[in-house]
Amino acid sequence: MEDVMYLMNSLWTMIAAILVIFMIGGFILLEAGSTRMKNAGHVAGKTIFTFGLASMVFWAVGYGFIFGGDANFFVGMTDFFYSGEIMEGAGLATTVFFVFQLAFAGIAVTIALGGFAERAKLSAYVIFTILFGIIVYPVIAHWVWGGGWLAEHGKQDFAGSTVVHLTGAMAALAATIILKPRIGKFNKDGSANNLAGHNQVYTALGVLILWVGWFGFNAGSTVSVDAAFFGYVALNTTLAAGAGAVAATLISWVVLGKSDIPTILNGALAGLVAITASCAFVDVWASVVIGLIAGVLVFYSARFFEKRKVDDPIYALSVHGAAGVWGTLSTGFFATPELASVGKPGLFYGGGWDQLGVQLMGVVSCGLFAFVVSYAILFIMKKVMGGIRVTEEEELMGLDMSEHGNYGYPEQMILEESKSLN
Amino acid sequence: METYESIRVWKELNIANFLDDIVSLNDFHDQVMLKVLEVASKKIGASPAPCDFSWFITGSGGRLEQSLISDQDHGIAYEIANDENDLYFKVLGTEISYGLYEVGYPYCEGKVMSSNPLWCKSNIDWDTQLAFWVDDESWESIRYLQIFYDARVLYGNVEFIQRLKTYVHEYQLQHPILLSRFTANVEYVKNVIGPVGQLLVERQGLYKGCVNLKYAGFLPYVNAIRLLSIKEGIVDTSTLDRMAHLNRIKEYEGILKDTERNFKDLLVFRLSLSQVESYADTHYLQVEKLTKTEQKDIKRIIKGGIKLHREVIAMMKKGGPNGI
Repeated sequence: MEDVMYLMNSLWTMIAAILVIFMIGGFILLEAGSTRMKNAGHVAGKTIFTFGLASMVFWAVGYGFIFGGDANFFVGMTDFFYSGEIMEGAGLATTVFFVFQLAFAGIAVTIALGGFAERAKLSAYVIFTILFGIIVYPVIAHWVWGGGWLAEHGKQDFAGSTVVHLTGAMAALAATIILKPRIGKFNKDGSANNLAGHNQVYTALGVLILWVGWFGFNAGSTVSVDAAFFGYVALNTTLAAGAGAVAATLISWVVLGKSDIPTILNGALAGLVAITASCAFVDVWASVVIGLIAGVLVFYSARFFEKRKVDDPIYALSVHGAAGVWGTLSTGFFATPELASVGKPGLFYGGGWDQLGVQLMGVVSCGLFAFVVSYAILFIMKKVMGGIRVTEEEELMGLDMSEHGNYGYPEQMILEESKSLN
Repeated sequence: METYESIRVWKELNIANFLDDIVSLNDFHDQVMLKVLEVASKKIGASPAPCDFSWFITGSGGRLEQSLISDQDHGIAYEIANDENDLYFKVLGTEISYGLYEVGYPYCEGKVMSSNPLWCKSNIDWDTQLAFWVDDESWESIRYLQIFYDARVLYGNVEFIQRLKTYVHEYQLQHPILLSRFTANVEYVKNVIGPVGQLLVERQGLYKGCVNLKYAGFLPYVNAIRLLSIKEGIVDTSTLDRMAHLNRIKEYEGILKDTERNFKDLLVFRLSLSQVESYADTHYLQVEKLTKTEQKDIKRIIKGGIKLHREVIAMMKKGGPNGI
């Protein structure tokens, strides 16, 4: 029987890992659709490349830093260049667990690089992917999931609202600040222009792929088939996504007079990001509430950042950052005594302020660490590399041409070029 | 010569005599274009012009760097704005562009031509235009200003253009942001040197195996030297003349080392492309056909340009407010 459980756990987690890796496809469509045509090929190609590079980094040091032994305050110090060795006595094959964790690291860096959209040099993507994969993501993952100090405090983050989403978003924030807004985003008087993405259908399909992939992300984080608990996690996950989409549609409809499509899509994603921390710890009705709040939050967050003249083309800060914070805090309110396998019940279930305090401490410390270290990395990169942003001329011609020498939509772009000349 | 056709024939018969020297070749182009102006003025009637004016050329012509075939870049500034004059110069501008085209100067893709109202204005309108460009700071406006800075008067009142250039120089002294906008505008260089020092040639198409001399060779020199000239208020338009002025300034001694020699060699290289049939042909150098020594030379020239460009940009950014 034990053998069957071991195999079933491994099989389920493997399927989940594949689903999470498939989320990269969702990010490609999401980012390509939310940006302009002249950058589409670049977005697609660099996302595949950086996921590949992040995999190498995770294999070399990331996994060891997060889960290795002989840990110091920041990271573990064994298991570098993972050999494929199977750990005895574990509930599932270590190789499967490794691939599953690798996928998470890849998602985190993909979110972070969203803050680079439409203006960073390809070489900046290369260097930042490596450094983020070595000194940002593993530290936070170690603190929360690798037995670090936040784990000891009982921080609840089932599948990574903080570890993956908030970390990625904080790095994206550092990038948007250092890179400055895209040409034409803000006018001299500070008012913002809408640099509309070129394909809302891509963006919507991207969201759907992410939604499906999230079953691997959240339900897969059970890394076990025990009692089919993954079903419960999946139920909470999909309800939060649905609630997020509904809330975002309604709030944009009420405030703007028309329902805004990017907001609808962001609402679904915000619901997913928020429920990521709490999906295994809260009642079903609570997941609906968490999703609804996330949907409203993402709408106002996007407006807030735009007002502060932070140019975030793919809403990484609002979707992954604001919703990541809310998701992490939400267990401090809604975690039930029966489900709180880690930490304590939340405020609404008689657990008092303790868990909320731990969650807040986790958000602040992880958010601050990710932001400060990413900012420092990017600042040094800017100095050493003679700038991390492409030149104005390259930005105007588009990164497809400047960084790769080919357009993602060759016929269309050549047509546009000839139109602008005549 | 009374017709464009006769000018074209005369040009084609004689241009071969000037192909071994860039100065006399440009002098010859000047003569051809002046003849076009003469015929154009006659063709539209009402000669002489109703008021004082200046006809200037810019781009490679303005910089005295035209090769065998060159596209047209030109504009008009006239003294008095009124309906009659506006119409006269509009008609003249359009006729000049047509005439130049007939004689063998292709139309400018960016529409820097006297036929375009943007480049054909009274002095008072030019004042407004320049004031808008220096303040606007958009990529396009700054690009226009750089083009304007290469303007050289071919016919008429030199003072009209000089005055406007002085305005740009003085504005820049009071508003350093303008210089940093100029810098950002020309920061891009087409990279044709690979990671192991090899020349990266065009991979497909008509110019397969060629290196683009305009973008990889000329522009780094031209743009870097123009930037320094704007900063120093040098009104000459030829890159070599600008270099001569800059060479006298001690601060630039280091960066300008070898620059003049490299640039002269580059001009010679381009003149060697005599088998050209179109304007685009004059930009492309077939690398495989070069001897080993020539390949080494062209690499030295291109690398020298990139180095100069990089150092000038860095120098400008150091003094400027917002580098990235």
